[in-house]
Amino acid sequence: MPALAKRIALVQLAPSVQMTIKARELRAAGKPVITLTTGEPNFDSPPHAIAAAHQAALQGDTKYPPQDGTRVLKEAIQRKFKRDSGLDYALDEITVGNGGKQCLFNAIMATVDPGDEVIIPVPSWIAYAQMVQLCEGVPVLVNCPQNNGFKPRAEDIEAAITPRTKWLILNNPNNPTGACCSPAEIAGIAAVMRRHPHVWVLSDDMYEHLVFDGFQPATFAQVAPDLKERTLTVSGVSKTYAMTGWRVGFAGGPKPLIRAMTVMQGQATAGISTVGQAAAAAALNGPQDGVNVQIEAYQRRRDLAVEMLNAAKGISCHKPEGAFYVFPNVAGCLGKTTAGGRTLNTDEDVCLALLEENFVATVHGAAYHMSPFLRISTATADDELLEGLRRIQTFCEGLR
Amino acid sequence: MSLTAERLDRIQPSLTIAISTVARGMIAEGKNVISLSQGEPDFDTPRNIKDAAIRALENGETKYTDVSGTQVLRRAVATKFARDSGIEYKPEEIIISTGAKQVLFNAMLATLNAGDEVIIPSPCWVSYPDIVTLADGKPVLVPCGQNNGFKLRAEDLEAAITPKTRWFMLNNPCNPTGAAYSAEELKPICEVLMRHPHVWVLTDDIYDKLTYDGFKPGTIVAVEPRLKDRTLTVHGVSKSYAMTGWRIGFAGGPVALIKAMDKLQSQSTSNPNSIAQAAAVEALLGQQDTVEAMRKVFEQRRDLVVEMLNQAPGINCSKPEGAFYVYPSIHGCIGKTSAGGKLIKDDEAFALTLLAEEGVATVHGAAFCYPGYIRISYANATDELHEACVRIQRFCQGLH
Repeated sequence: MPALAKRIALVQLAPSVQMTIKARELRAAGKPVITLTTGEPNFDSPPHAIAAAHQAALQGDTKYPPQDGTRVLKEAIQRKFKRDSGLDYALDEITVGNGGKQCLFNAIMATVDPGDEVIIPVPSWIAYAQMVQLCEGVPVLVNCPQNNGFKPRAEDIEAAITPRTKWLILNNPNNPTGACCSPAEIAGIAAVMRRHPHVWVLSDDMYEHLVFDGFQPATFAQVAPDLKERTLTVSGVSKTYAMTGWRVGFAGGPKPLIRAMTVMQGQATAGISTVGQAAAAAALNGPQDGVNVQIEAYQRRRDLAVEMLNAAKGISCHKPEGAFYVFPNVAGCLGKTTAGGRTLNTDEDVCLALLEENFVATVHGAAYHMSPFLRISTATADDELLEGLRRIQTFCEGLR
Repeated sequence: MSLTAERLDRIQPSLTIAISTVARGMIAEGKNVISLSQGEPDFDTPRNIKDAAIRALENGETKYTDVSGTQVLRRAVATKFARDSGIEYKPEEIIISTGAKQVLFNAMLATLNAGDEVIIPSPCWVSYPDIVTLADGKPVLVPCGQNNGFKLRAEDLEAAITPKTRWFMLNNPCNPTGAAYSAEELKPICEVLMRHPHVWVLTDDIYDKLTYDGFKPGTIVAVEPRLKDRTLTVHGVSKSYAMTGWRIGFAGGPVALIKAMDKLQSQSTSNPNSIAQAAAVEALLGQQDTVEAMRKVFEQRRDLVVEMLNQAPGINCSKPEGAFYVYPSIHGCIGKTSAGGKLIKDDEAFALTLLAEEGVATVHGAAFCYPGYIRISYANATDELHEACVRIQRFCQGLH
């Protein structure tokens, strides 16, 4: 067979996908597996979004859409940015991708040259570093330890900046920790960014609506309007509206960047599915009360998960501000032996033993650049989550 | 530091911008413009396909699918390849993407290192060289003259292959010329490829249902099964089923290549829209009568357009085997002056002046890496096509 490109060796299938596949195989083999790996809501898409897609199909909205999104969707996004964050973006400062992921990919591919550095606070979603590596850029990982609530410290970010730094990526609330910076904490980071005018800021706000206990999140361009000209604000309908399969994400940013991202998109996929765009516009424009029901459920499940995990021997779980993940520390489990006789040396060992012995699928922290932790998704039905957490407790009880 | 990455700067700005800007301006002024520039069928998506999408909506098929597409759609694609082309692919040898364009993008990013060469017969769809360039590769264009029906000669392919050649890309039938290769015509090309085992082969068969006069297009793997382990067979539902806006393309190929493409897609967009995937299953497995009905209409239009264009002084139009384009030579018009007093110095001037003076939008050949021609899409209502051809005749008669 002729050869593959060098860059492909740098890319791996997301570990969360690998774990989900393992879980599926075990289930197919008849095992009672509980899956706490997925990053997708267990709710249905809003009925008005489904109705809009239905109508779009019947009305013949089935032709090539513009590469940067349909006008109807871009207007809905424009209103959303204004309504939720007080941000004003012109229509040519907005673009639409096949998921928030494609918006990020477009931005990185369109701007990162070999050797350019991208600062990524970790733990982080694996795709950031992978996209940078695909472009032969250098991911510069900045640790955000549990004792700081997994949040980036302004001084740590400043220390990581070099003349080659192209981007700082912020993910608020964060996947995998659920941590969410307050406006004051973001202001601290903005103060650093003002001193480094060559660095762009990518604010990935995919989980922005999923925050608890009355927490008021803010996005970077809202906190630092003077830096809006070098900030890309990314969000989407997947997490807020339980619309993962539709694959609609979007971004607002300065026109030259949006134009460059659209050129990239034009080469990679062209415009995205028209029925998905119609549904996304309806979700953004329609009633928002369904979102609150989901937030209540996620908060209830977070509380349950944090409490039960902290009751498990060897686990310490921080209580996050948002998203639908918790990120328990399993340092207390390492060096021990499971009931099934496995020795646990890494968080990956914990993760695999938990799956194979107690049939609970999670993702290990190393997959998010920080060990020894597990990522547990609370986007799981209450009873299943409860059973999963019980099994984790049993698993920990059995450690010697 | 410049905002955009060098890879993006390498992409030529779109050559069709001038024409589409003028066309938009004329339409805004209320002028009657007939567009023969679009690359999509004028038909709406068939009802059975829309109904399948609606069923998927009602069934809540709104979650993430496998990155490479649902099992159901991959099996449908396997059935399609076996039924239509006699090629056996297993589901794991198939990937579903957001348009066939993403298939090409994934394939090039997965295989090209800096300086690798990709042989592209020209005239060609401009995205081929652009995507190659974006992936750090070097497009090597091999001209295919009108006197050979715009088809590649085996000896020209042989002469273009070097140790740096990584891919040979064939579009059969071809956008923009409509030229198509029979199995017999592909044999000498396959013989050349058999002598060069370091070369990957990409055959983009997206127009293969649209051929006329009983012409049966061949495809590489069916002609030479020994090339199967280094051939990517690309297809999609856009052109055959009038589904451009749904954005579903796919490919069959060796597992190692498909896996690499899957990894890339997992980091750039994840799965294509889930509802569109369900629609594509019905397109491939449901009744095929509407395809044949559309094909018949296209055939009548092709005959009409070729006949009327050849009556226009200075135009020489070959009758192609397939797709919904013709690619007439306008060499006989170059150097003349239009009725409105404009010098037709090249194909772009021809297209711009035809648009300004007669309100007919076409695309000039330079946009397909092959100047001296224009591309006319006959995916337009028959009466509009007739009127457009009358205008082209009048325009050419007015040249002096």
